[in-house]
Amino acid sequence: MTAGLEIIAFAICAFIAITGALGMTTTMSMFRSGIFLMASFVGVAGLFILLAADLIGVLQIMMYIGGMLVMILFMVLVMHDPGGAMMAGMDMSFVERWFSKGLVPREPAQSGHAKHMHGDHQRGYNDHHHGNAVQPDEPNDRKAAAMRSGHGAHPMEHTDDDEQEGQVMHHSGDKHDDMDMGGMDMSMVTPVRPIAVWLAAAVSVVLVSMLLLRPAWRIIDAAPDPDSARSIGHLLMEKYMVAFEGAGFLILIGIFGAVLLARPSTHPDDPSRSAKVAIDERPEPIADDGLTPLAGARGSTEHHMHRHHRPEEHGA
Amino acid sequence: MTSSGPSPILNDYGFVALVLVMALGLALLVAAAFLRAPGLLMRTPSIWGQFRFGYAVYALIFLAFDMEMIFMYPWAVVFADIGISAFLDMLVFIVLLGAGIAYAWGMGGLEWE
Amino acid sequence: MGMIATAALVLVALVLGAALTLLVERLSTPHHVEPGPAQAADVRHSLVIANSDRWLLPAGPVVALTGVALALVVLPFGPGLIGRDLGIGVFYVIVVIDFVVLGLALAGWGANTAHAVEACYRIIAQLVAYVVPLGLAYVGVIMMARSLSTVAIVEAQSGLWFVVLQPIGFVLYLVTGLMQSYRAPFLEPFAASIGGGVLDVSAGWSALLWRIALAGVLFLVAAIGALLYLGGATGPLLPGWAWMIIKTYALMALMLWLGRLVRPFSTAQMLALSWKLLIPLGLLNVLLVGGLILLGVGP
Repeated sequence: MTAGLEIIAFAICAFIAITGALGMTTTMSMFRSGIFLMASFVGVAGLFILLAADLIGVLQIMMYIGGMLVMILFMVLVMHDPGGAMMAGMDMSFVERWFSKGLVPREPAQSGHAKHMHGDHQRGYNDHHHGNAVQPDEPNDRKAAAMRSGHGAHPMEHTDDDEQEGQVMHHSGDKHDDMDMGGMDMSMVTPVRPIAVWLAAAVSVVLVSMLLLRPAWRIIDAAPDPDSARSIGHLLMEKYMVAFEGAGFLILIGIFGAVLLARPSTHPDDPSRSAKVAIDERPEPIADDGLTPLAGARGSTEHHMHRHHRPEEHGA
Repeated sequence: MTSSGPSPILNDYGFVALVLVMALGLALLVAAAFLRAPGLLMRTPSIWGQFRFGYAVYALIFLAFDMEMIFMYPWAVVFADIGISAFLDMLVFIVLLGAGIAYAWGMGGLEWE
Repeated sequence: MGMIATAALVLVALVLGAALTLLVERLSTPHHVEPGPAQAADVRHSLVIANSDRWLLPAGPVVALTGVALALVVLPFGPGLIGRDLGIGVFYVIVVIDFVVLGLALAGWGANTAHAVEACYRIIAQLVAYVVPLGLAYVGVIMMARSLSTVAIVEAQSGLWFVVLQPIGFVLYLVTGLMQSYRAPFLEPFAASIGGGVLDVSAGWSALLWRIALAGVLFLVAAIGALLYLGGATGPLLPGWAWMIIKTYALMALMLWLGRLVRPFSTAQMLALSWKLLIPLGLLNVLLVGGLILLGVGP
């Protein structure tokens, strides 16, 4: 691989790393944020591989896929609006809007009564608003969606009891640009933002110039070891033995902490927050597998008939 | 000032990158082949909210063991060359982690909540 | 051969392997049972989901397919028939197959329906369950082969297959391989009670990609099992690649049959099985293999 290709590969990996980090900080969806961090570390792994440290590069990817998925799980557990659909309708800067594209519900081609599914989830969503803005939450969702659709007032899918409210809100919603959630302003544009952006730019300039103006880069005339796993193993066992065992001990402490912190608390959770995955359901048996049926098992659903609700047919 | 040329590892990963790009191309081809397919529309309410899941402790312990597995792979490669001292070191490591699992199990952490 | 030709061959091998896997799955199941997760997905129509995350949902099957294609690079189908013999071959495979889980989770969350988000939780639970015991099974093989390279693992079994030397590891691999490929009895993410999970929200091109990716995962799991425990592409009389194919599909049929002997596991049961039984077994396996090597048994 020639030096030119190396430079191109470096540029691509660096671009992925930086864009991933930028996306992580600016997108409105928590899930996407975790995924962007994962992508950023894939870029960093590419940089490691360019330095011929392939085991460590691939190890980065392994750690971060597992780690980020678990972190996303906990974020979804704890954060309000992890999917970003609500926040994506707010007033945002250009970068944030770009990284939050595709989050807002798209308009259907024609209006109509939506299928009524799981309406209680929508109501449960309302219960978690602290403060005074409980009631305008749902119509504001419609308002946000109506504004994002740009031209015209296309009615969104609505549950039956909000239909009147939704229609009324549309006409007033098209006119103004700022969100007013009954006193709770969730706009992302604050007066301190330009200062923050300039500060970040200044810090980056200082760091990059420190890197470039460093006096002497030593060039070693040694080829990188192609069998990196073996050399890392030897290093772990010989030079870094104490660190190795210390890391094991640290992991043990982490396990202790995790078990202690995750004990059931004295305050039970709001029942509206239970998803099916929180219930240990017995899976229904595979039909005709020759095993004796469990007493009381739900054997009615055949395993191959899993299309209960077919989506409605629309033209292309 | 001499520096060695690009490592042979880079050729290998260049190939990997090539396969990656071609797989993406294949996926794009498949997607393009279905452009003319009649579309169905599915309208369901947005469900991204806060939901509990029952395996929080399992997930945290998994993170810890993922870090442990990272150490086991290079150790496994050099184990046969080093011999008994490597075995004893890993024995200590495994005992530490076994203690972690035993603690979690005994404290009722390995349960579905 | 040029790099581009070899890369194209890798993709061709993926598609052929996945097609043959679909056939084997269909042949090996009784006719009232769902053959494999994606075989009933609707390919004819495409699906537009109103509330979906328009970046994450299409990215799911693409990421899964990429993971499977990348993992196939390092699999030897014969003496010279390998994409590239990476120095960290087996470790690379473990990491890259995790992209399938990532793709499933992206599609599950991105679809923004109750069933798909539920499936996303179950998919990540399955990841939490399978990674560590599977890694422990791999570690036993790596210890005896003294290398992460797939070619070196095949060479180390020229005397005796590892299935004989490490039976516990083999059993561990069978069970966690079924978990990794989302087949019976670890089918909860694709259960009928959540409408098929991620497959309910995929149609058209994404359904086709899911079929290839999910069949490809089973194919990869079986092929790696044949590589790690059954000696890979070696054998008398027939050429290497023929033996590899025979061993892969025999192992696949064995796994599928064994998987259907037990009732499907719920997610909680699967997690408990993994952490309470398989991981202690895996740690024991590592210690046993270490003892065997110190006693001089093995290559």
